[in-house]
Amino acid sequence: MSQNQEVDEYLEKLWYMKEEQTDKLEDLYKACGAGFSRETFQTLINHGLAEISADGKSVALTPKGEKDARQIIRSHRLAERLIHDALGGDFEAGACEFEHIVAPELVDSICTLLGHPRECPHGMPIPKGECCLRFARSAQSSVIPVAELEVGQEARVAYVNCDDDSRLHRIDGLHIRPGAILKLHQTYPTFVLECEGANIALDREIAKDICVWKPAAPVLAKVGRRGRGRKKRGWFRRMGFRRE
Amino acid sequence: MSGSDTQKIIIVGLPNTGKSHVFNSLTGEYTLVGNYPYTTVEVKRGRARIKKTSYEVIDTPGLHSLYIHSEEEREVRDLIFQERPDVLIQCIDANRLKQSLTLTADLMELEIPLVAALNSIDETERRGVRVDPSALSDMLGIPVVETDAADGSGGKNLREAVQQARRGRDTLVYGDIIEAAIEKILAQISEDLVCRRKLAILFLQKDPFLPDQIKTMYGDEVLSVIASAANETITGINANIGRLINFSRNKWIESVFDGAVERERSYLSGFSENFGWLCRHPVFGIPILLAIILLMYVLVVDVANVLAAFMEQTLWLPVEQRINALVPAGILNDFLIGHYGVLSLGLANAFITVLPILSVFFLAFNILEDVGYIPNVSVLTKKIFEKIGLSGSAIMPLVLGFGCKTMATLTTRSIRSKRERYIAIFLIAFAIPCAAQLGLNMSILGRMGISAFVIAFATLFSVEICAGLILNRMLKQEKQSDFIQELPRIRLPSVKAVLKKTYFRLYWFLKEAVPVFIYAAVTLFVVDRIGILGMLKDAVRPVMEGFLGLPVEMVDALILCMARHEAAAALVINLIENDQLNYIQSIVAVAITTMFVPCFANIVSMIKELGMRSALIMVVTINISAFLLSGILNMVLKLFF
Repeated sequence: MSQNQEVDEYLEKLWYMKEEQTDKLEDLYKACGAGFSRETFQTLINHGLAEISADGKSVALTPKGEKDARQIIRSHRLAERLIHDALGGDFEAGACEFEHIVAPELVDSICTLLGHPRECPHGMPIPKGECCLRFARSAQSSVIPVAELEVGQEARVAYVNCDDDSRLHRIDGLHIRPGAILKLHQTYPTFVLECEGANIALDREIAKDICVWKPAAPVLAKVGRRGRGRKKRGWFRRMGFRRE
Repeated sequence: MSGSDTQKIIIVGLPNTGKSHVFNSLTGEYTLVGNYPYTTVEVKRGRARIKKTSYEVIDTPGLHSLYIHSEEEREVRDLIFQERPDVLIQCIDANRLKQSLTLTADLMELEIPLVAALNSIDETERRGVRVDPSALSDMLGIPVVETDAADGSGGKNLREAVQQARRGRDTLVYGDIIEAAIEKILAQISEDLVCRRKLAILFLQKDPFLPDQIKTMYGDEVLSVIASAANETITGINANIGRLINFSRNKWIESVFDGAVERERSYLSGFSENFGWLCRHPVFGIPILLAIILLMYVLVVDVANVLAAFMEQTLWLPVEQRINALVPAGILNDFLIGHYGVLSLGLANAFITVLPILSVFFLAFNILEDVGYIPNVSVLTKKIFEKIGLSGSAIMPLVLGFGCKTMATLTTRSIRSKRERYIAIFLIAFAIPCAAQLGLNMSILGRMGISAFVIAFATLFSVEICAGLILNRMLKQEKQSDFIQELPRIRLPSVKAVLKKTYFRLYWFLKEAVPVFIYAAVTLFVVDRIGILGMLKDAVRPVMEGFLGLPVEMVDALILCMARHEAAAALVINLIENDQLNYIQSIVAVAITTMFVPCFANIVSMIKELGMRSALIMVVTINISAFLLSGILNMVLKLFF
């Protein structure tokens, strides 16, 4: 492992500590275990990425370090998402290398492709990038919220954004899960979708959190011929008149 | 375990999966079944005998998983932990096999012998999905029985399966992180606890209701040991535990599903789907709803009222004549068939006035229930609900209010927000007529013509909306709870099931209401004889005649309201037949009897859900509002007619 990668690993660890709201040096030692390298840690401090408090007990990222760590974590968690959702693989193994080699612009493209996911497959938050703030949404996104589907379209669930445990459970219990296929029946007065043989009525808010792979082109092409933009959805359509 | 020979069976399952059917088929009793969630809101117990063993059978409300979301589901889980059943029966609707398997996974972790009762296989087969019970049984390692929910034919197989119930195969293994965490917690907690592994998992999932329950079952000390073991473990894990657990479990569910199901990919389709879609449709849905209401109205007015008149002619008049011939005019004659006679006001009202109307109405209503129409149409009301501060989770309880207000009040437990629960309970108690009242109101107003019906129901509807808006303003805002509701499939109801349900609903009505009718008649008779009733009438005459514009005789109806709303309605019908109520008065009478005093059972359920103080305040508020609103209605109507 190169020096650079080792530094990255420490930045990652310090970010985790921040998420767990601890800044004790002791916890860093614990997290690194026997592999703790004083030399690498010193490099971190020399580069102005982290600083140790006056009493020598706490450690924290400097603003510069935080910026770097943020980018690493972002790449890591997006990579997990990509591997897990798109390739259906084991999400832990591949990602570790990934985050060290990908350029930030590429990370933003992946983020846009995946529809700006908010959480990694483990449920940890993905730091927002510039693309998320701009909310770059375009033909480049392969993953879109159910709320943006056309009535009558079907799509495969990519992931569910949800930071509320009990809501996640409820959604999961109805089998709206990565891989499940759903079909949107109506969007007004409330969303009704079909999933695994059951019709489910739900709020728009929840429909926004369920993200699906954008359905294949033919359906969209048909819409295009009728001269309607995908995003502009007339009331006629919202009520489900156009039923496949 | 229970020491005696009696074994315990608990029936669990997702909402609307035929649990009550299984209960009925095991015990030979009848509890209400229907094609909608929350048919069963209270735990029911019955007895069954299989070969030489006797069983206590417990029917429960719906449960999605052992990680719970509402007070209502909590009751079911508490029951499982505390009753320590010998056998669990899980009802599974084949249409929703995957969703059910989530619960199966949870139940198998309890290490209690389990039986799966599978129904609606024929329905899935029509959609090209073949569920193989024996394959499913092999995959899970538990008996799987086909019990056809619509006619209960699998009863015999089910009985045999109960005796072969066994713990499932432990094929669900979580990832390293979770398994290590479970081990770590198990190492620290006592061997004596039941369902240890499941407890550990639920603690890892940070189940919000569990600590409380452990405390009641085992006390503070045990709780603090488990909680600290769990917390320590959780802090060591850098991931969302819920997601990791779901991930492994979903993989397991997929593998079981793939092993047990052959499918050609297909979607819900055909008549039932299209009809469901039409019912929920904002443009087509409303005409369909109106058409159905109109149809019910026509049935009640043109069929039931004619039937009632016929019965009066053939059954009641001869009896009246016979008594008049036998018993000379005087106190005994009055007691039997006078104004407050036991036979006239008591029996005849119940059997001749109310029963025919309820028979026709319940028949129609039960068909709607079994079709699954009502929850599907409730989707239409979503926007109205938002305006009055209710998120979607209140829809189902309010809609159920049209069936039975007491049951509906109990189902408000599924609403998580306290504020919404309060609003929902109030609105259920206020201007929603229950099924019996609805049928009778139709019959009363039908005598005045359809315009009276439209005016009265439009009034009740707007009263509900206004009450909702006002409560929404008054109560403190809270975060709205989520709305995510499964809708039942539209089915053609079985004639047998509908007839059976109608029979039982009428039977219960007669059993519960006829004594009340008679007691009420006797009470009124006595109070009238003593002279108290006359004094009371004189006292309220100004309000009654002046403000409400009703004849003083309506005082009797309002008194009867407190006992039984059907009795009051019967009295109103009598008044109309004697030409004592005109067009406006009939509308006002219906409005006030619908809103005035929730029935006794409803009040009891309100006290149960809200506590004595809040419930009584609510009842008083409702009564005062009912009076004021009816008075205003009277004045407004007089301007127009």
